[in-house]
Amino acid sequence: MIYLTDGTKESFLTAFLLAFSDGDALVSSSPTQLSLGQKTVFVSADAARAARAEERLLSFDKDCMNDLSLLLRSGMSGREQIAFRYFRLLALQKRPVRDMLADEDVLCASECIRKVTYEIHRLHGFVRFLESASGALYAPLSPDNDVVDLLVPHFRSRLPEFPFVLHDVKRKKAAVYDGKNTFLAPLEQAEVVLSASEQAWQTLWQRYYKSVNIPQRERLKQMKGYMPVRYWKFMPEFSSREPFLT
Amino acid sequence: MIDERRLKILTEGAKYDVSCSSSGSKRKNTGGMGNGYAAGCCHSFTPDGRCISLLKILMSNDCVYNCKYCPNRLDADVPRVSASPEEIAQLTIDFYKRNYIEGLFLSSAVEKSPDYTMERLVRTLKLLRNQYRFHGYIHLKGIPRADEALIHEAAQYADRMSYNIELPSERSLKLLAPQKSKESLLLPMRKLAEDSAVFKEEKRKGLFLPAGQTTQMIVGASPETDGQIVRLTQSLYRGLGLKRVYYSSYVPVVHDSLLPDLPVGQLREHRLYQADWLLRFYGFTAEEIAPENENLPLDLDPKCAWALRNLQLFPVEVNRAPLEMLLRVPGIGGRSAQKILQARRYTHLTFEHLQKMRVVLKRARHFITASGKFYGAKSETAVRGLLTAGETGENATQLSLFSTAETALSALTGEL
Repeated sequence: MIYLTDGTKESFLTAFLLAFSDGDALVSSSPTQLSLGQKTVFVSADAARAARAEERLLSFDKDCMNDLSLLLRSGMSGREQIAFRYFRLLALQKRPVRDMLADEDVLCASECIRKVTYEIHRLHGFVRFLESASGALYAPLSPDNDVVDLLVPHFRSRLPEFPFVLHDVKRKKAAVYDGKNTFLAPLEQAEVVLSASEQAWQTLWQRYYKSVNIPQRERLKQMKGYMPVRYWKFMPEFSSREPFLT
Repeated sequence: MIDERRLKILTEGAKYDVSCSSSGSKRKNTGGMGNGYAAGCCHSFTPDGRCISLLKILMSNDCVYNCKYCPNRLDADVPRVSASPEEIAQLTIDFYKRNYIEGLFLSSAVEKSPDYTMERLVRTLKLLRNQYRFHGYIHLKGIPRADEALIHEAAQYADRMSYNIELPSERSLKLLAPQKSKESLLLPMRKLAEDSAVFKEEKRKGLFLPAGQTTQMIVGASPETDGQIVRLTQSLYRGLGLKRVYYSSYVPVVHDSLLPDLPVGQLREHRLYQADWLLRFYGFTAEEIAPENENLPLDLDPKCAWALRNLQLFPVEVNRAPLEMLLRVPGIGGRSAQKILQARRYTHLTFEHLQKMRVVLKRARHFITASGKFYGAKSETAVRGLLTAGETGENATQLSLFSTAETALSALTGEL
């Protein structure tokens, strides 16, 4: 049986209860995964059931909802299934299973979580703000995982006096800090009027980036390993007027 | 705003400094901009594979010293420029605000005199911390022979300071950097370590070098062996409590009869860093890693080489071996060792388990058993062959002038 969720935590937990006793269950949020001969149920979120499942799971492992939140943010298409297998094991063992790394389901879940947290760490460095005319900062990004709101605490604690917008252009939403509060909002496209000196600072940054490199020691493979090309799109050091990497 | 030309010159003068890490400081934001990120944070990577964490820049490249290996030495015919404290501070703030950098790595040529230079560096730091209320990371390079009081003051504003010991022996230092001496470099390092201890002891307010001290040395410009370098490194960690020792393989930017004309292979630098990791995270001593008058083998990493010398200790059983021993197995790093410790509490681990857990077994399989089973090669020669296979291609390097002990010695005494 295939249990199709709407991608939310409540829907997942409802599906979890329904699918629990079915060892071959598939839980997914993308209808493209339908396979032949399998019956499909659409699971709509049921708040009461979800709360019951959450309470029960928390009694086995008080940190497990954090795992679930990270798993459901993953950009992997099989994320619900990975989470289902992990939480099924947790419910069967009735104690934290996080460290059972020789178990395939735990391994899958821990790798999936690691990818999400690793991307958060990477983006702490790779986000690039543009300064707008009003002094607010704007950063477009398209992360693999749905993490844009998880980046806010980091930037808020280091730039408390600057309102900023972290815009996930892929998922068309933005995490906003207005100088006091933070919130998530849908955002299709942003119109940003840049400050008068923005271009000049970008040019200086490009100059710096070029000058600090040691050309005799080229190691492009290593560079791209640390900073995959998909992140370059929003970095001013790669939008230089003269082509740099040839 | 600093102009592009000076930014280029001052950056190119600073870029051979290896250290760029921004870890170890938990400085809080108390209004203003920035805070420390204890784990460190890389903001970009250059095509040479190095990370950009800090804005690494010289205050000035106008030097009164004449160190042979340095492109900015007194004799060199290069354009001389300086930046003002205000320019450096503004650049740092505007780069930081846009999240280009994690902080500032400020260094300088010795302009006019050590005290004059150090005073300008300290002024820049005070400007950033007090006027701009900047709490991001600052790494300051100490100027040898500067006044003690200035150095002490700097340490209250910087997160980390470093004096580069430049060359791994006093003789080489005398030959290649005549105005610097071992004392002029080690004394301030020792003093800072003592002051820092006092500061902690008396629980004084504020911070005093929360991320400690580091140093750097050039490898391959002088004939010291890796064995000597690793011993020196160990004594710096033990004696002075340094956080890191960096190595920079020599790149000939300057031609001088006292210096080799060929760059040192990056593999040697890599092996030294591997040895450094063994010292800091794997519980090895310098004596275990390399004999004093030998270099590290290029065809094997230092842990493999140690394991092959100590085959009587292997294989170890992954289900029982203590952490210290797991860490000594070639191919098993800190993360794999932790994974093994966690997983074996729940089940008896087999090779299949280890594979699934992504423990790299290419080298490790010759040194472990899993549930009593051994999958490695049978004889020592076979193990050696398998471990060095695939590494030979990148090791084919040009012989260096200092490849043998005799030529190395004659180079030091000046006969060569």
